[in-house]
Amino acid sequence: MIPGTLQPWATLRLGWRNLARNRRRTWITATTVAFAVLLLQLSLSFMTGIEQQSFDNLINYQTAHAKLFAEGYFANRDELPLDYPITDLEALQDAIRGVDGIAATTPRLTFSAQLSNGVDQLPCLGTGIQVAGSDTDVFRLPQAVVEGTYLQPDEEGLLLGSGLATFFGVSPGDWLTVLAKTQAGAYEALDLPIVGLLGTGNPLIDQNSFLLPLQTARYMLDMQDAATEVAVRFDATAREPATLRRLQGATENLDGLETKGWRDIEEDFMALVEVKRTGRGIFLGIFIIMAIVGVTNTILMASFERTREIGMLMAIGLRGAGIRRLFLAEGALTGLLGGAIGSAIAMIFIAYWATVGLDLTAMYGDMDIGYPVAGILYAAFSIKSIVISWLLIGVLAALAALYPAARASRQKPVEALRYV
Amino acid sequence: MSVAARLLDITKTYQVGTVEVPAVRGVSLEVEAGAFLSMAGPSGSGKTTLLNLLGALDTPTSGAIWVGGQAIGGLSSKDLADFRNTHLGFVFQTFNLVPVLTVRENVELPLQLHGITDKGDRKQRVERLLREVGLGDLMDRRPAELSGGQQQRVAVARALVKNPTLVLADEPTANLDSHTAGEIMALMQSMNEKFGTTFVFSTHDPLVMEHATRLVRLRDGLIESDEQIERGHHVV
Repeated sequence: MIPGTLQPWATLRLGWRNLARNRRRTWITATTVAFAVLLLQLSLSFMTGIEQQSFDNLINYQTAHAKLFAEGYFANRDELPLDYPITDLEALQDAIRGVDGIAATTPRLTFSAQLSNGVDQLPCLGTGIQVAGSDTDVFRLPQAVVEGTYLQPDEEGLLLGSGLATFFGVSPGDWLTVLAKTQAGAYEALDLPIVGLLGTGNPLIDQNSFLLPLQTARYMLDMQDAATEVAVRFDATAREPATLRRLQGATENLDGLETKGWRDIEEDFMALVEVKRTGRGIFLGIFIIMAIVGVTNTILMASFERTREIGMLMAIGLRGAGIRRLFLAEGALTGLLGGAIGSAIAMIFIAYWATVGLDLTAMYGDMDIGYPVAGILYAAFSIKSIVISWLLIGVLAALAALYPAARASRQKPVEALRYV
Repeated sequence: MSVAARLLDITKTYQVGTVEVPAVRGVSLEVEAGAFLSMAGPSGSGKTTLLNLLGALDTPTSGAIWVGGQAIGGLSSKDLADFRNTHLGFVFQTFNLVPVLTVRENVELPLQLHGITDKGDRKQRVERLLREVGLGDLMDRRPAELSGGQQQRVAVARALVKNPTLVLADEPTANLDSHTAGEIMALMQSMNEKFGTTFVFSTHDPLVMEHATRLVRLRDGLIESDEQIERGHHVV
């Protein structure tokens, strides 16, 4: 123990009792902090939830955990070129499946196409998928079928994004014409029946994509046994970065291939997520600062009211550092009190929304909310996040008390004792 | 006879706006250990200033002060705090107890600041002293639940609990009725006699001065008279 200061526990106890001197003011300040914390916790849990669901959506319907491309494809991927085919798929997939943490692989053939119902025509993204084989081991498209059925083995047909179906005014059983250029540049058209509609919440798929059997796509595009990508799903228990590194290590010796994780593939979306996080952080930061300024004000008022008492404490030997600690403790305790109330209320709401969820369709309909999610949004319930936020508020509130604490500790005892 | 405190040619001048106001104008004084010294004088005579200087709460404009053989001059604010904690006890006119602490905790505070970590030791010292000042039954009350006289008893106990070299009391009875004032002075006198603690206090009240063994009269920042007196001697 340092002479001239109180033990930490004694400082906290005295600080806590001092908060009770002006209960109404303490409660008003704590309530402001509680409101800020409630908003922070709810926002964090929903944003974490929406991000996690977005990431799951991307992995389940679009990117898998990783994809292998022929060298050169990734740089030109926006043009959906057919000039970078992957051949010898069996050998490649056998090599990948041997990597620790890999659950499944599947080849896909992605291409640019026009869809037409004879009246309207729209440029779309076409994807040939291995129906009888492995696509459902990697992707979760069957669970996104909102009307009709998933493709059956040896079935010729289309899985159509639900938004596209609305645009064309079609439903399962109707026919659409697919028009695409072959690898050699010749136009090829194919009439196919719609077997099912996809509602994934991912605008790229729902508004812009159709899927068809891989063999049909190969036949149409004259791509023989090739694919434009091999999608890879990791084991549920595998650690993603480590598995990706192992996968990249295993494929780096294979000539003419490059392996990209889903975060690299969706780098634009990830950048957008970062921007949104920053914007949200600034908004919440401003809100929290407003609450924290309340703590500064409260502690400053307390330090003025107790000037003579501070003088007395200095007279009996409390050092300036001890005075500072006392007011910092009062600031921290105010923050922790408000934070505890806010966190407790937030936990009730978060627990409810993490279990029951929030129906986004009912709230937003088909509106694009900037994240590839649809249906029910579940809040992320994380005790760790709640506790960290709570402690963070305590630290911020202590920092908010720095100025009043420093002011109180710098006083001369004789002047403080004379203060009226 | 050992000396509890010594002031040598002390001056203190306050700056009030652009005007310099001399509060103490050259005071030298020795306070012998065990004294019960009363500083008397009209308002503005420099009593409180001298007590503040003796209590290391303020620094002189010139001159030197020793308490318990240690010079106060040149100490940092941190060292001054430690010095006050070790050598001095204070009794204030307005009691100045911490309202959110119990009687026991108020008296225990200087011991905690002194670095005494043994709870049992602290408890024993606090309870013994509180019984001495007649508050054995009120240890767990808060100051607001006590009368003015009882609060000042707590302040006396708080001042004495570390066995300081010197207890300074600035008009300790000014906020008390005459009967209670007499009780407080009697208490301080008995503590002085029982423990040999040196007391220096300021007062206007002739009845309070009667408890002193030495009376120093001040006027206009200077010592007007300094005399040893008999306890109970009628002071005019």
